[in-house]
Amino acid sequence: MSDDKKQTHHEDDKDMIKLIDNLNRKDDVHLNRRAFLKASFGATVAIGLATTPFGIFTFLRDENGEVKRVEVTDIDDLAIGESRNFNYPTKNEPAILVRTPDDKFVAYNNKCTHLQCPVFYEHKENVLLCPCHKGYFNVDSGQPMAGPPQRELPKILLEIKDGKVYAVGREIRHG
Amino acid sequence: MDKKRAAFFSIFLFLAVNVFALSNAIEGYYGHEDGRVYGAVTVALISTLLATVAFFIWKKAEYKK
Repeated sequence: MSDDKKQTHHEDDKDMIKLIDNLNRKDDVHLNRRAFLKASFGATVAIGLATTPFGIFTFLRDENGEVKRVEVTDIDDLAIGESRNFNYPTKNEPAILVRTPDDKFVAYNNKCTHLQCPVFYEHKENVLLCPCHKGYFNVDSGQPMAGPPQRELPKILLEIKDGKVYAVGREIRHG
Repeated sequence: MDKKRAAFFSIFLFLAVNVFALSNAIEGYYGHEDGRVYGAVTVALISTLLATVAFFIWKKAEYKK
């Protein structure tokens, strides 16, 4: 065999060694189709099971949660176009009761859904206003109309009986 | 589409379903929408169960001699 041929063979061997090196890489063993599917399956199971704590905590919350019935005010104490603050369902959750120009009673938790600032009733414009960042809410629905808030104010369900307004429940998402 | 291929792709479908269910469960939980939470959990568990079945079908076909 001539020297040139020997040289060529030697270079071919080198190339083959490179290919073998490539095969020995850890990534080639661990990152393949099978491993990808197994990882995807693991993610599916993990995400699926991650929903269960929410179900369990919701169930436990239901067990503990009783619908509170709280007297808010006498109808006669609140004139049309006026509002009154109260707390519902706990003392730490401020709320606002409004008697609208249409002579309807509506109530919402009055923490702005943007950054929790208190929300006030603006009689002239008939809107609920968060003065911190000029967030406006529709007084009839509690839905955001303008400004940074994206979610509605939690609605407090009311009952009017014997000339008095009672708060009887709450809907966080509504409308 | 053969059984193995169908099982392979269905796992990704179930993955998407579970992501959607988890986002619904979280939104429902913080929004006090109990029905939405229970619905999302039910969907997620069924989807996980089906994904497990699909995975074993795929595994059986994949490692068959």
